[in-house]
Amino acid sequence: MGEFKVHRVRFFNYVPSGIRCVAYNNQSNRLAVSRTDGTVEIYNLSANYFQEKFFPGHESRATEALCWAKGQRLFSAGLNGEIIEYDLQALNIKYSMDAFGGPIWSMAASPSGSQLLVGCEDGSVKLFQINPDKIQFERNFDRQKSRILSLSWHPSGTHIAAGSIDCISVFDVKSGSAIHKMLVDRQYMGVSKRKCIIWGVAFLSDGTVISVDSAGKVQFWDSATGTLVKTHLVANADVQSIAVSDQEDSFVVGTAEGTVFHFQLVSVTSNSSEKQWVRTKPFQHHTHDVRTVAHSPTALISGGTDTHLVIRPLMEKVEVKNYDAALRKITFPHRRLISCSKKRQLLLFQFSHHLDLWRLGSTVATGKTSGKFLVPGKHGDTLPLSKDADHLLHLKTKVSKMPAFLRSAVQILFSEDSTKLFVASNQGSLHIIRLLEGSFKHLHTFQAQSGTVESMCLLAVSPDGNWLAASGTSAGVHVYNVKRLKLHCTVPAYNFPVTALAIAPKTNNLVIAHSDQQIFEYSIPDKQYTEWSRTIQKQGFHYLWLQRDTPITHISFHPKRPMHILLHDAYMFCIIDKSLPLPNDKTLLYNPLPPTNESDVIRRRTAHAFKISKRYKPLLFMDLLDERTLVAVERPLDDIIAQLPPPIKKKKFGT
Amino acid sequence: MVQLRPRASRAPASASAMVDEGQPASEEAEHGLLLGQPSSGAAAEPLEEDGDGDGDEWDDEAPEELTFASAQAEAREEERRVRETARRDKTLLKEKRKRREELFIEQKKRKLLPDAVLEKLTAASQTGIKKSPGKLKEDNLQKKNEECEKRSESKKVKEKVQSIGQNKSYVARRLKDQDLRDSRQQAAIAFIQNSLYGPGTNRTTVNKFLSLNNKRLPVKKAAVQFLNNGWGTQKKQNAKRFKRRWMVRKMKTSKK
Repeated sequence: MGEFKVHRVRFFNYVPSGIRCVAYNNQSNRLAVSRTDGTVEIYNLSANYFQEKFFPGHESRATEALCWAKGQRLFSAGLNGEIIEYDLQALNIKYSMDAFGGPIWSMAASPSGSQLLVGCEDGSVKLFQINPDKIQFERNFDRQKSRILSLSWHPSGTHIAAGSIDCISVFDVKSGSAIHKMLVDRQYMGVSKRKCIIWGVAFLSDGTVISVDSAGKVQFWDSATGTLVKTHLVANADVQSIAVSDQEDSFVVGTAEGTVFHFQLVSVTSNSSEKQWVRTKPFQHHTHDVRTVAHSPTALISGGTDTHLVIRPLMEKVEVKNYDAALRKITFPHRRLISCSKKRQLLLFQFSHHLDLWRLGSTVATGKTSGKFLVPGKHGDTLPLSKDADHLLHLKTKVSKMPAFLRSAVQILFSEDSTKLFVASNQGSLHIIRLLEGSFKHLHTFQAQSGTVESMCLLAVSPDGNWLAASGTSAGVHVYNVKRLKLHCTVPAYNFPVTALAIAPKTNNLVIAHSDQQIFEYSIPDKQYTEWSRTIQKQGFHYLWLQRDTPITHISFHPKRPMHILLHDAYMFCIIDKSLPLPNDKTLLYNPLPPTNESDVIRRRTAHAFKISKRYKPLLFMDLLDERTLVAVERPLDDIIAQLPPPIKKKKFGT
Repeated sequence: MVQLRPRASRAPASASAMVDEGQPASEEAEHGLLLGQPSSGAAAEPLEEDGDGDGDEWDDEAPEELTFASAQAEAREEERRVRETARRDKTLLKEKRKRREELFIEQKKRKLLPDAVLEKLTAASQTGIKKSPGKLKEDNLQKKNEECEKRSESKKVKEKVQSIGQNKSYVARRLKDQDLRDSRQQAAIAFIQNSLYGPGTNRTTVNKFLSLNNKRLPVKKAAVQFLNNGWGTQKKQNAKRFKRRWMVRKMKTSKK
């Protein structure tokens, strides 16, 4: 492998924003997550919890509620008073409709999926009809005195429970009038001064309404009589979220102390038919408020101010007890936010609204642009970026206008010699633009094949400038011949999304990494998988390799050694040496540093192709600058936590 | 029963009462009603008796001989003085307020564009509406409007100037609605901030939270963020500058 000098970079001030809402879609097993800065991410839970789609956000669009409706449609509503529908194919916003009720605090889709209910600041509950192309306002329900903070439909769609401040109202959907008004006790730690805020309600099919409030109580109400049935005092702080499973035999609540409680319906004695709700399991996976929870058939999902997304599969619901049943904590992004210019030793950091350009060895240029400007790549740069779909793209040089079809770019990539720019637009087409001194010239457009652009588009260009690889269509990775401007071949489709893509310098092998930790190597000139790739697919990867949590986000190559592939994920980086034998399940995958006093025999026996180092973690980016130098961008978790909002005080004995 | 000697009242009603009711008091006195007010006719009774009925025992201090009329006059003077000062204060305040308002009006005038430009704007906007039927991306302009929501109205006008000047197509929005919507949004954000992080919530800093573990270890460690890097930044900058200059000077002298 050799020795390398490593630039350890820790000044990338990446702070993700806290998670505000989570919505689980049962049919497609997808999770929509919205954050406090307005970004919405979609995770594919069956593809190893990979973040498939990403909608960049804006503070004005900060969401307070998120829900799925019939036909895989995603709606969100926020404090700017608008209901937004997202276009999951084109990765932008379809439309936004003002609800005219002031800031919207909560939203719920009816069990049938055809109606949408919205709770507003002025105390009104509005009903919208979901049409195939748009939503339409139907009517208002009775107006309440204070803001409606949580909503829940009865599974039959006839009644609604709405939680506001100090009271819960039950409405009848047909008439729109409030049937019951249940007052909630304000007492919090013996004091009744602060108003009791009902953060969440859930309506069960037997007429029970479960409410969670800011006094730390979980209360069960009977909606037929409007009376309180049972109270559980669960925490000393707010209980902020609740989610019920589809079978209605378990629900989960999240508190402001970071604890998540699981309640289950268990029979009173072992053979009686009478059942009651019992608090069964506490989970402490968060340090800050848990603002949202979701309940999938097999797992509990929680997210909060500490920016982690925690997915906890329930052991009794999981069929196969393998590594899939382990706890998953998603902290770091699944896309690459950093790009590096090797010749100039520059690093480009991508933040949500600006870009930072740093020089290695000393910090010279920190260009704070507004997000609308892209600092053009210098000679020898490759700057792939994923741009905000709403912002227009401008080049900072004297370029006057950009053509209209370049309105929303999903991915931008410069060629190796910086004369060409490849832009993947969100309509599924790929544009090539030649960059000249003061202007540009549009060369060619590769239209999308039949079908639509599904997941995040990744681009890779070969160092000699002949080939361009693009992933993102469900039909596999397309390889285009740039010189002749036509489609060269297509790598066969694989059912897991692509997480990283790169083309080797001399051999023009396309290396693809998928979200289930599989790696393929495809030879572009030969139009087939390489020998090495076939061997490793036949043998299979080491089981520890397949059990890694985080996806591979970057692949690069050594300029002088064609047999080496360098790749990394958040907790390790690995150099694959294709000349060495492959490990099977019995060998040690994570080799310790080779000690010099070990005998040669042992070293030969344990040497295998995957040289993994866990020295620098958590890694956001790792690349080879030249033959002897590596650059590793780390982001210690403590630095992120240090910039989070204040958590609830915990009193521990002895402090 | 002890017969108490009738005493003249020591503390009559307040001077102002005396002054105001000077006339009726005299009438009452004439009627001989002893309501604690000595008759003005009998000018011999001193108003300010320091002793009581036993005054004749302390003969060394002869009580002051004050006529009722003089005392009344004094009281009236005082009253007048008080009134004068109050009036003066009020007028001073009024003047101050007037000056301040004028200042504000002037400042506002300075901020607003000159009238000529504003007239040109409105003319241009009307022609602009007729010219360009197309629509810019609504999101863009929404963002622009929301970005300038915090600035004053005049600056909003300026923003519109730019867009009209470049002859782009746009979407018209009423600024009054924007203000209402913004105030509601601010109120909502304030509500959430107050209910989660406001008074009455039991919050602590991240540093203290993470250091709890360190405190309970068998060998106690320091807090997680032990150093306060934001302390004395100005001092540190000055020190850095001084050091640089000192080095340069040192280099120069050593060269010589």
